Order: sequence, then C-alpha cells, then structure tokens
Amino acid sequence: MTNETPIFEAKNIVKEYSGHRALDSVSIKVPKQSIFGLLGPNGAGKTSLIRIINQITAPDSGEILINGKPLKREHISQIGYLPEERGLYKKMKIGEQAVYLARLKGMPKKEAKQELMLWFKKFEIDTWWNKTVDELSKGMAQKIQFITTVVHRPKLLILDEPFSGFDPINTNLVKSEILKLRDEGATIILSTHNMESVEEICDNIALINNSKKILGGKVSEIKKQFSEDKYIIEFKGTGVAFANAVWGGWEMINNEQIGEQHASATIKLTGGTKLNDFLKGIINAVEILSVQKVIPSMNEIFIRCVEQSLKMEESAVTNENTIQNG
Amino acid sequence: MTILGPILLVGFLVGAIWLGQQEEKDLEILVLDDTYVLSNTLMQSEKYHLTSSQDEGIENIDDGKTFLKERDKYDIFLYLPANIVSGNASVAKLFYKDAPSSNVQRHLENIIDGSIERLRIKELDISNEDYARLKNKVQLHTIDVISNEEKNVGMRAGVGFIFGLMIYMFIFMYGIQVMKGVIEEKSNRIVEVIVSSVKPFELMMGKIIGIMFVGLTQFVIWVMLSLALTTVLSLTVFPDMMNPENVAQTNQIEQVAVGLTVEPVNSDITETSKEFQDLIFNQIPWGLMIGLFIFYFIGGYLLYGSLMAAVGAAVDSETDTQQFILPITAPLIFGYIVAAMAIDNPNSLAVEWCSQIPFTSPIVMLVRVSMGAEGLGWAIVLSMSLLIATFIGTTWVAGRIYRTGILMYGKKASYKEMFKWLRHK
Repeated sequence: MTNETPIFEAKNIVKEYSGHRALDSVSIKVPKQSIFGLLGPNGAGKTSLIRIINQITAPDSGEILINGKPLKREHISQIGYLPEERGLYKKMKIGEQAVYLARLKGMPKKEAKQELMLWFKKFEIDTWWNKTVDELSKGMAQKIQFITTVVHRPKLLILDEPFSGFDPINTNLVKSEILKLRDEGATIILSTHNMESVEEICDNIALINNSKKILGGKVSEIKKQFSEDKYIIEFKGTGVAFANAVWGGWEMINNEQIGEQHASATIKLTGGTKLNDFLKGIINAVEILSVQKVIPSMNEIFIRCVEQSLKMEESAVTNENTIQNG
Repeated sequence: MTILGPILLVGFLVGAIWLGQQEEKDLEILVLDDTYVLSNTLMQSEKYHLTSSQDEGIENIDDGKTFLKERDKYDIFLYLPANIVSGNASVAKLFYKDAPSSNVQRHLENIIDGSIERLRIKELDISNEDYARLKNKVQLHTIDVISNEEKNVGMRAGVGFIFGLMIYMFIFMYGIQVMKGVIEEKSNRIVEVIVSSVKPFELMMGKIIGIMFVGLTQFVIWVMLSLALTTVLSLTVFPDMMNPENVAQTNQIEQVAVGLTVEPVNSDITETSKEFQDLIFNQIPWGLMIGLFIFYFIGGYLLYGSLMAAVGAAVDSETDTQQFILPITAPLIFGYIVAAMAIDNPNSLAVEWCSQIPFTSPIVMLVRVSMGAEGLGWAIVLSMSLLIATFIGTTWVAGRIYRTGILMYGKKASYKEMFKWLRHK
C-alpha cells in the first residue's frame, strides 16, 4: 500500500441496534483506484457498514473519511450504490426512472439522458427505454440497476453482491465494466460471497465476522500469509519409490498414479524442512517433472478464518461460563 | 380517472334525473266510490285519468279487482269505502299490478283529501274566502342578532358540510395513497437507493406533498369539469332541470289538488329561488370559507398523510396495515359524524370541541363557519394554530418512524417498537 491518502477510510466504527452490536470497532482503508472486497458471512455487519458509508444511517461512534475529510452530504453525488436487494418502480417507464435516479445524484436532466442512452446501448438494451419493469426479467432489471448506479460517474462505487442474478455472460460483462471503471479512476467497494470474483478482481479485502473485522489487507499478501509449505510434485516413477526416498520432515497429503510410470503427489513439509533439501532427497529416486506450490483459494481462507473466529468465541463463552460457575 | 371521474359523476346525475322523469307516466285509474258523493268532486289532472266504476258497469270491490287483473285498461283500482267521509283518519284502498311510486300515492291521497275537504266546506257552509283564511302557512325567517342579517341556518350548514365532506374524502383517498406509495417503495427496495441520495425525511415529505398536489390538481379538474358538464347539459339536453319551478313542483301539486289556491302559486316559487340566490350570493362568506377550506384541506391532509406514511413504513405489505389504520381513521370518521350532526345542531358542545381538536377540526370547523363567522374569530385562530402545531408534531413523529421503518424488513413493528424508534438517534 502506498502512503497516499486513501479515498475511503473508516475508523473504529461502532453501530448498535437496540442492544445488538452490528459493528464493533471496524476500521478499513480503501486506496484510490482499487477494488476492495468486503467479505463476510450473512449477518456479519456488511450491510450496516455499507449503509453507514451511504449515510443512510449514522455510526454510534467512529469516523468516516473521504479523501481524508469527514463524510458529508455533499459526497452523495460522488458515491454510487447498488444495494443487495434490488428494486425499481414497477409501473414507471425504465428510461424515466433511470433519469430520475440519476438526477437524484445531481446530474442535469439532459446529460443524464445522454449518458443513459450510451449505457443502454452498451448493454444492448436501448430498445427498453419506454418499457416498464413489469415487462422485464429479473436479469434485465439488474442491468438497469447497475447502470443507474454508475451513470453519474461516482468516484466511489459500492456494489453489494453485483453478480447475483446474472447469467455467466452478463456476469462477465459486469465484471469487465467494473474493471474498466476502476481503470478510469473509480474506486470500488465490493461486497460479495462470490470468492472466485474476489480472487479475480479484488486488490484488497476485509473480512468481517460477527461485527468484527477479522482479516484485512492485500489479496496477494493474505494468500501468502495463509499458504502453508504444501507442494504438488509431478514425477516419473512409482509412488513407493517416491515415498521411500526421504525419511522424515514431510508428510504425504495425497498421492495419485496418473500413468504406469507417471504420478503426482501433494506433500506438506514439516519441521522446517527446506524444499530444496527435500527435492535433493527424491531426485535420485524419481524423475521430477514439475513442482508447484499450493496456494489457498480465497474460499478456503474465508472458511478457515470464519471457523477459527467461531471457535475462539465458543471458547471465550466457555471460559466465561467456567468463571461464572467457579 | 381524472377526466373520467367527473364524466361518470355527471353521467350518473343525469341518468338519475332521466330515470326519475321516465317514471312519471300517465296513469289510468278506476275508482269505485261507495260514498256516492266523492267521485264527482275528485280532481282530474293531466297525468292521472280517473274513471268511475259505473262507466265500466262495476258494482263491488271484487269485480273491480278482477277487472284490474284481467284487463289491461287500468293501472290502478281505487276503492273509497262509505265510511271514508265520516272520520278524520279514513282509509281508502289502492289495488295495483305494478307498485305505484310514493309520489303517486301522495298525489292520490291529496286528491281524496281535497274532495273530502270540499265536501265538508259545503256541509259547514263556509265560503271559499273563509276557507282560504283558515289555511295558513307560517315560514320562520331566522335572523342573526349580531349582524342583523337574515340567514337560512339549515341550508348554510349544508354548504359547510359539503366543504367538510370534500376534505374528508380528500384526506381518506390521498392519505391511503401516501401509505400505498411508501409500502411500494419499501417492498420493492428502491427506497434503499433513494435514501442513499436524499434524507428519509425529505423523501417522506416529497411523497406527501407530491401526492397532495396530484390530489389538488385532480380535485380542481373534477370541480371544473363537473361544473362545465352540468352547465352544458342543463343548457342543452335538460333545459329545465335547474329551473326552480321544477324544484318547487311537488309543493305545487298539493295546492293544485286542493283546488282552492287563493294566492298565486308563483309567489312561493320565487320566494324559494330568491332565498336560494340570497344564500348563494349574500349569506355564505365565500372568501373566508374558501380560504379556510384550502387551509383545513392542506392542514388535515398533512396531519393524516404523515401518519399514513408512518404506517406504510412500519409494515411490509398492505395486508399488515389493518391494526394501524383503524386508530387513524377512527377520529376521521368521528369528525364526519359530528359534522353531519352539526347541520341540525351547529352550536352543540360536541361541535365546539371537535372544531378545535386537530384530528376532527378540518371537517367540523367549516360547518361552524358556514353558519356565520361573527364571534368565531378566536375559535378559528385557536383551531388553526392547534392544527399547525399538531401536524408539525405528527410529521416529526412520522419522520422518525419512517426513517427506521423503511429499512426494517421481515418483521411487523409493534407499537412498542415504534415508540423505541422515536428515540433513536
């Protein structure tokens, strides 16, 4: 991360709803012109945070900074928001309501119309201008909503589950539009359960569970942090020869015979064994074809972190109980 | 609906008048007179053709009934028993095939009464002049002692009631529309996008005020179109519909039936129409009434509209609104009932109180004012101030409930919970 002021920063945000703490001192930083993944299981507090960013609700304590300055109402025109629960006026003509929503964000009518037409053409829906939402399928309505979110060229885009409800083709279309928007200067906060898309397009992430941030940082760094000494080794020779070549300092996780003299093994190095030393040991027994480090998917990291924090909480509860009982 | 409404309204009105005229067809009436003295003095008229049973050779009641049943010649068979001339509460019988209207019955009663009266005049040897002096008709002219003006209290209250009724309907129709609009925005989730651009309070007020102007526009179009249509129709299709002579016709019939009209009939009609004109042009304080009408119209709507918006925000769908709607509509309906009562008794305690209580004053106050605004100055000012204060209060409360409610999904709010929302930061 550079030392440049982040476009968005949340500092120690706390939000409570009638006794229930939805956000517990959550802090995130989103660098300019990046895609930020806001991850977490359902009910973790993502929507609460997003609503605070959109000034729909105010935090009980904590601070939100946009370009280093406190968040104010005049920032509204710089923010675009696509909520998870989509909705449009069902009986109103699509073009009209798109213009209306753009004007709410401070766009002049004429400009809004022109820009919208461009977007409608890009999404190949320019013939829908005078239709009503009732006449459209769910996926079609999603497109309209995506357009109304980005038409006023917001500097900060908040997309809550932007890919849900799209078929693979349109998912790609939206994905490439998001990347294009970033390249053009926008910063995007993406809340999603779709871990594949996180790996594909996110630069940074924050993982929120049970109203606390439990993980955050650059995607590449997090992956490195979570990768263990696991390797997939493909070789010519038999599994038995491979297994007997080196004694100790590693364990076999998986072993697969591909052909008669062709196999692949997934191993984990233990006790500080260096990969080089291990390879030296087996190089005489089998012919190594390839060696590849196993990098955990975001999906694995997500599940591992959430489960871990769950266990920690459970033990905390047990401790509390023990103290009370004792 | 904007254009269609008044067309339908005027259409129904014209249709009703047309049907009313259709009903008055000529009637053939067979009369069996057992008194032998009445039938010669029964008055004939244009629409009621009386034929003595002797002309048909009918002697008794059963023959008359059979004749009516089996022949198409007569619509009604009237039987006057012999004792009809003796008592004061005499009974005659009317046999029919198609039930006669109350108009027909009244007319025949008048004819028979007239005959009996004439018979008795002769018996008592009273001259027509003396009889005319006996017949007296007093009219009470009500005069306000403060302004020293003559006023028609009943009709004036009626005008006030019509104003109140319009406000009542407006609040009901458009208040519900506010609620539906809020529910729609909430249930299709567009509200979340919109409140990320404007404050919830702004959105709520925009909705309430927007619908108010829709309502006012619709209302003005209705009034203008209705007036235009009735004027056009009364000038072309029904030239005599609006004629006061027609209005007064029923009274006239009674006098004609007696057949002893001494005064010219017209004096009464001109009196009525003059009174009506006086009411319309001189007695109703139009400037004040219309000014107050607009004020209470808007004030009442804002009060109820904001509450309706709060209800819309507190529920997930229209089916959940019942328990919240009732406490809101109850005072509205109560106000309507008090306003209706005020026509008969405009100075009752209930009217006085309800014209002050902001939840009923928009409907009740105008009835009170229509009776004369003199001496009401402080009451009007107090009522208006209370209304303003209350709608500011309800709007504030509604804004709080709305702000939290629109983002709450999946659970129906209770009163307790809504009270909690009021105190949220």
